[in-house]
Amino acid sequence: MAGAVTKDVEQNDAVTGRVEPNGAVTGRAAASGAGTVAWRSLLRVVGPLAPAVLIVVAGWWLFLEAFGISPLVGKRPWQVWEYLFVDGAAAHRDAVFGALGVTVRDAAIGFTAGMVAAMAVAVAFVLFRTVEQTFMPVAMLLRSVPLVVMTPLITLVFGRDLAGVAVIGGIVVFFPALVNVAFGLRSASPQATDLIMAYGGGRLTVLRKVAVPTAMPSVFASARISVPSSIIGALIAEWLATGEGIGAGILRAIGGFRYDEVWADIVVVTAVSIVAYAVVGVVESLVLARFSDQRL
Amino acid sequence: MATLDRRAFLRTTGLAGLALGLAACGDNSASTGGGGGEGGLGSVKLQLSWKKNVEFAGEYFADSKGYYKAAGFSQVELLSGGGSGTSVESGLATGRCWIGLSAPTITAPAVLQGAPLKIVGATFQKNPFAIISLSKNPIEDPKALVGKKIGVQDSNELVWNALLKANGIDPASVTRVPFQSDPSMLTSGQLDGYVGFVTSGPVRLKMQGVDATHLLFADHGLPLVAETFTVTQQTIDTERDKLKAFLTAEIKGWKDAVADPAKSAEMAAKTYGKDLNLDVAEQTEEAKMQNELVVTPDAKANGLFTMTSELIEQNIASLAKAGLNVKAEQLFDLTILDEVYKADPSLKLS
Repeated sequence: MAGAVTKDVEQNDAVTGRVEPNGAVTGRAAASGAGTVAWRSLLRVVGPLAPAVLIVVAGWWLFLEAFGISPLVGKRPWQVWEYLFVDGAAAHRDAVFGALGVTVRDAAIGFTAGMVAAMAVAVAFVLFRTVEQTFMPVAMLLRSVPLVVMTPLITLVFGRDLAGVAVIGGIVVFFPALVNVAFGLRSASPQATDLIMAYGGGRLTVLRKVAVPTAMPSVFASARISVPSSIIGALIAEWLATGEGIGAGILRAIGGFRYDEVWADIVVVTAVSIVAYAVVGVVESLVLARFSDQRL
Repeated sequence: MATLDRRAFLRTTGLAGLALGLAACGDNSASTGGGGGEGGLGSVKLQLSWKKNVEFAGEYFADSKGYYKAAGFSQVELLSGGGSGTSVESGLATGRCWIGLSAPTITAPAVLQGAPLKIVGATFQKNPFAIISLSKNPIEDPKALVGKKIGVQDSNELVWNALLKANGIDPASVTRVPFQSDPSMLTSGQLDGYVGFVTSGPVRLKMQGVDATHLLFADHGLPLVAETFTVTQQTIDTERDKLKAFLTAEIKGWKDAVADPAKSAEMAAKTYGKDLNLDVAEQTEEAKMQNELVVTPDAKANGLFTMTSELIEQNIASLAKAGLNVKAEQLFDLTILDEVYKADPSLKLS
């Protein structure tokens, strides 16, 4: 990556409007890059997680106690622990983690579908202003229809398997990502744009060398927001369309008065959501460290 | 349960605004039911098992004709069911309702998990659960389920599993499709069949000009009762008279409902389930059909909601087939109802 960037007009150069001899800046980024930044960002992300987990578990327990929710329905943290690791634990773990695997797969499909579509459409928006003026209101209109209402139609058109999951999950991720990425692409520095134009570059070159690197922080910001929403999308798709995974399992467990399973499902989904968020955070700081110096 | 709620209620009076909403019902059940008289028993909440259609005609009569009031209740609030999180068992366990209409297949697992609940009467002597399919693509035998796409609501999870187990069908051999309550998924070809009440789906489809067929769970190893009155053990122990008063009002309401299907349908469509867009003609047909499930020869002889010891045994055997090994005395307590009929034999049908 560093090599490729070296040849191009550097992002940081572009932003400040200076043209420096190439080697110096990239060399610094590459050297400090992989090792230290990886550790530092990992610590920065994982460090606050431990207290966060403690607060969540304590809040869970206190909430149930404060409102006097019966332990038959509102399972306490240690009951979930027993369910997963003590009594008949292997069968329970099979049920919960089997469903979790499906949900993670569904969320990944929705996340990818939504992010790719959002980036493609955002690029189209930036390249062709009229496209944005025509489609943005339509997109917002669609956005305001509740997904739960649209799902029966989506399943009718796209079926109840992975295509349906991709569309339902994609919709959840798509809109916030679209707005963010389009904004990021458009905040490219005018000086850098002028520079490329002056050297005879076209709009595509501007997009490639200025707008895309500038948009990187926005892309990752929307990726981070999209991780939890992609899981929500996957749960909706599973509940209403596929009938697999946690989204379906959790409601069936309620129907079967298996509240141990319900709470275990909630715990693992939450954990996966937090971990995925953290992973995107680490990747983000690694990529941004190389791509732009805005965050250094 | 109620003591827990009461304690919690006291503990959280600081958060009164929020806590009141949750604890209100538990507060009611905590007050011991003494004598009758107008409103002396306070207000209670009845959690229905489904949306407010004609299935609860007896409750509509008891409410509109003042039988609940005459029994001493200032109000009986009918809580609509059918959505997630409205299960009677969790409602009783958390004190959200005082009594509920449920089914043995749902109550038994809760009891086995340690919830102190009992069934004290059964509105439907035969359960109306069925696999509904189209006549041109019929499912008339459990074996025919293999390889089919069947819509099952999450709340019917246990009944569905019971049917499969009772007939030795591998769950993996049937494609289970998420289903809410729309029989048109049959006509659009998204489903080959779905689990629903024989009293409602086929009637609705027939009104749309589509012929439907059904496979009754009761005919295939699951002769279970349904729409069962479910309460906590504590209610039986500490509020027996209040419970008797309630059941008396219910019996009166259901006697009226059974006698007048047209009025039942009208009340469901025009008053209680007004926002459900129910059709009076369709609801009338449903009411007539459900009468056959409510008024069996035994119910005629012994009174509505009663269960003979043979019927109880049948239910326990059905539950065992579904892998729910519960004892009769853990799940059923029909003595309260017996006392009601002993005290006033005129409540019986004939």
